[in-house]
Amino acid sequence: MLGEDDDVFDSVTWESPSAPTYDAGPSAPTGPGFRQSTAESEPGHGPHDPKWEGYLITSVKDPVKELADTKDAYVSYLVSAKTNLPIFSTPNPSARRRFQDFVFLRNHLSKDFPACVVPPLPDKHRLEYVTGDRFSPEFMERRRADLHRFLQRLSRHPTLQRSTLLRAFFESTEWHVTMHQHVAHPPGPEHTTGVIDSISDTLLNAFSRVRKPDERFLAMREGVDKFEEGIVLTERLWSRIRNRTNDLTGDYHDMAVAVQGLGFLESGITDPLNHFSNTLLEFSALLRHTTQTTTDPFLIHLHSLLQYSHANRAVLKLRDQKQMDFEELSDYLSGVTSERDRVDALRGADDDRSRVEKMRKLDAKIKELQDAVQTAHETSDAFSDETLREQTVFQYAKEAEMKEMLGNLADGQMEFYKAAMDEWDRIIPIIQRIRVDV
Amino acid sequence: MDPYETENPFEEDTDRVQSEASSAYRVNLSAPSSPPSQSSRIPSSPSLGSASRPAFPSSGSHRQPQAYKSDFCCTRDQWLHSGEEVEIITDALKTSVNSSSTYITYVIKSGTAEAQHRYSEFESLRTSLARLYPTLIIPPIPSKQTIGDYAVKQAKAKEDAAMIARRKRMLQTFLNRIARHPILSNEHVFHRFLDGEVSWTEVLHSPPLSLLPTNILKAPSHNPTDQNASPGYTALPNPSATHALRRPDQRFLDSEVFTNKFAAHLSGPMEKVTRRTMKRWSDSSHDHAELGAALNGFSLNESGQLSSAIEKTGQAVDATYMSTTLLLQELEQNWAEPLHEYTQFATIIKKLLVYRHQKHVQYEMTQENLEAKREQLEELEKSEHAARRLEEALGRGRTSADSPRTEDGTPSSGDNSRADTGYLPPHPGPNPVRRRAPGMGFLSALSYTLHGMMDVDPATARRNAISKAREQISLLEDALHLSAQDLKYSSSTIQADLDRFQRQKVADIREMAISMAKSHRDWCKKNLEAWEEAKREVEKIPDHPNRMLEEIVEDSGGVANGSRESTSTIDGH
Repeated sequence: MLGEDDDVFDSVTWESPSAPTYDAGPSAPTGPGFRQSTAESEPGHGPHDPKWEGYLITSVKDPVKELADTKDAYVSYLVSAKTNLPIFSTPNPSARRRFQDFVFLRNHLSKDFPACVVPPLPDKHRLEYVTGDRFSPEFMERRRADLHRFLQRLSRHPTLQRSTLLRAFFESTEWHVTMHQHVAHPPGPEHTTGVIDSISDTLLNAFSRVRKPDERFLAMREGVDKFEEGIVLTERLWSRIRNRTNDLTGDYHDMAVAVQGLGFLESGITDPLNHFSNTLLEFSALLRHTTQTTTDPFLIHLHSLLQYSHANRAVLKLRDQKQMDFEELSDYLSGVTSERDRVDALRGADDDRSRVEKMRKLDAKIKELQDAVQTAHETSDAFSDETLREQTVFQYAKEAEMKEMLGNLADGQMEFYKAAMDEWDRIIPIIQRIRVDV
Repeated sequence: MDPYETENPFEEDTDRVQSEASSAYRVNLSAPSSPPSQSSRIPSSPSLGSASRPAFPSSGSHRQPQAYKSDFCCTRDQWLHSGEEVEIITDALKTSVNSSSTYITYVIKSGTAEAQHRYSEFESLRTSLARLYPTLIIPPIPSKQTIGDYAVKQAKAKEDAAMIARRKRMLQTFLNRIARHPILSNEHVFHRFLDGEVSWTEVLHSPPLSLLPTNILKAPSHNPTDQNASPGYTALPNPSATHALRRPDQRFLDSEVFTNKFAAHLSGPMEKVTRRTMKRWSDSSHDHAELGAALNGFSLNESGQLSSAIEKTGQAVDATYMSTTLLLQELEQNWAEPLHEYTQFATIIKKLLVYRHQKHVQYEMTQENLEAKREQLEELEKSEHAARRLEEALGRGRTSADSPRTEDGTPSSGDNSRADTGYLPPHPGPNPVRRRAPGMGFLSALSYTLHGMMDVDPATARRNAISKAREQISLLEDALHLSAQDLKYSSSTIQADLDRFQRQKVADIREMAISMAKSHRDWCKKNLEAWEEAKREVEKIPDHPNRMLEEIVEDSGGVANGSRESTSTIDGH
């Protein structure tokens, strides 16, 4: 029961008890992670392997400006899905939603599933909002892409994909009603007990580090740090290359003009030099095209992945926090207990009544604290369990996204080099055809 | 001067691609009767990995047959004109022979001969050839300052090495251009430069170089060292470069304009963009090196297939770094360097045109002076003639008695000039201030003085003046003849060399463009292959479990997959 704070299975139409079903091995090229791994995969984590009960493929398309030319104008998007998950009433649900709806979805999923890594949404406060350009095609397309990725990340999460809120997001015809209901009747009990609230923040935050660090979580944290470092560095260096390529685009354009000028001067070879100039121009255009269609989307995705990783890191921090809560409460409990023992030992003649009174109060407090400590312990354990699972989920997500990113990058590069190679190949015989005797 | 078309050589005219006529520069397009298969024959492009075979000067698409030669002045001469394509190869050596400090010497291999020369000796070779052949285009040598915007810091060995390599290449091209020149390749001074057994200092101090006059304008164009040249050459005027011509040669006017445009375009748009692009590629290759290392580090923190994919991507980036470095090197050698050479050529041609211009001015000046002298003679003879008729008339009237009119006591030597005293117009000597042609100052001053001295005896003075004038006219006629010869020789030789230069330039441009295209093509190819490999590795990353299944996959684990299974699992609880 206590584990339900963090695995809010009430939100899922899943009547089974809390223990999740096991999955043997994570890597499965053809199945949704169900197949037992054979040779290649890493050792299964046993109870911490995530399991996908089905698939949910989502898309965000077709931005449309609603209530145009009014002060309440906004953009709506068509969100649709293909699924075989049982909680959905149809295999192809769809609806039109606006950005605010996504924000609501995100915020409440975070609250309802604190141990899950809920993907972030792009900032609402973009410059375009201030300048009023939020209806420009570029902005709408950029946002559509961001929202598409957000939903994709959600749909890939084995737990989140089965949440009632997400289902409602796709299926509900009265989304506002749903939203209000959800706020009014949150799915699970409050996950913070009164005792923890009553302890002052200064006491809790005084110990900002976990007392008994778990190797696994330390390793995880380090892994996340290194991953983010790698992303940041790659982003920075690739941005530099992008700018350099932009410069080269201009340079080759100028070179084309200069060669054409030479062609005008050299009247005998004006024609072939014009062709050569065109090749340079084509090369310049190809460079620009690659930047726009390959490098820029790559950088955007890279940055988005970094944001997603931050969300992961936040969950890890929260896990640490839960453990710290437990440890601090334990400390507090043992402090109170020793005080009670001390008071107990003081059997003097005078203040028997006050001593007994004090003892009674302390005992009551101890009882309260013991309950709280137990809660915190179970919370912390459950959170840790969930976190281990989440790491695997995130690892899948990370791998899938990096596969997409690096794949698109490689595709774009190959397309560029192929096209450019053709251009240069084509000009060689044209130049060779210049006849001149020396 | 022959009349020439005043066609603007740089007019954009699509018909002109096939046309032959243009002003100064013409591409000698081959006769259309040659079979089409020949036009696709490609001269083998030099492989740049082995630095030995130079690309420039290019052989073009076809080689003109070498003029037959049988009497050679030395073995170098023989080697140069053996009929095959010969290449002079250079190398650079650091040495301290004959010096307290180390210096760079360039080793020159021509056939079996091997010589060593310092940069300064190349300079003196070039200067010598330029003075021996004022009507030929002597190819440039790398300038004393480093070209491009590579600031050479004395301590930076790497940049020094690049500069030395660049010099070596350009000196090699310089020598090969001379070797290919129909006239310069026969020059024995050049042969001796190639000859390892000869002391260059000796060559500089022996004929013909020791016979070079200080002012080439006062020496024959076809051979300034000619000891048998007529002394009349020294009498030629020494015009400034900017002196205007009365009847300029349109051909060469066009050439001058074209050369200026060409120089401006090359040193401006072309060289600037080239330098900028080189710098950009250099920066780009460094960026890729850094990124490759970063990706490599990144892959170490990941595991499984993702790690390999990132690693392979890093390798693709590394490959780009290496291919870009090579691209840069090739562009430097086969585009930037020859481009710079042609900028230098433009300056050389400008100087050549100035020389021809000065020769033309010499001719016109001499012509003007001759005309002036002839007019002067005419005047003098008219006076003489008039005086004679007068004397005759007077002589007839004096047969009876002595003229009572003679009153002055001037001693009469019996000539008629005394009787003419009163009737002569003021002394008829030419006013040296009027019609004074520059360069003729000495003669004019002399005649003025002579006239002054002989004022007392006008008749004698006039007759002396007449004979002087006749002398001078004779001299001027000789000088005019020499000047005309020189001008004709200069103009035709320069024109021919310009034509040859134009053909070579087109051949070199062709080579430059082909080389650039090939370098880029190879760059693309290498990078494409690297990214293809990376893509293959990336594809191996397993797909995300959240996938639609095409079919239900059976397996031994008994674990559920596919939609039906999952439904039953749910229902089962």
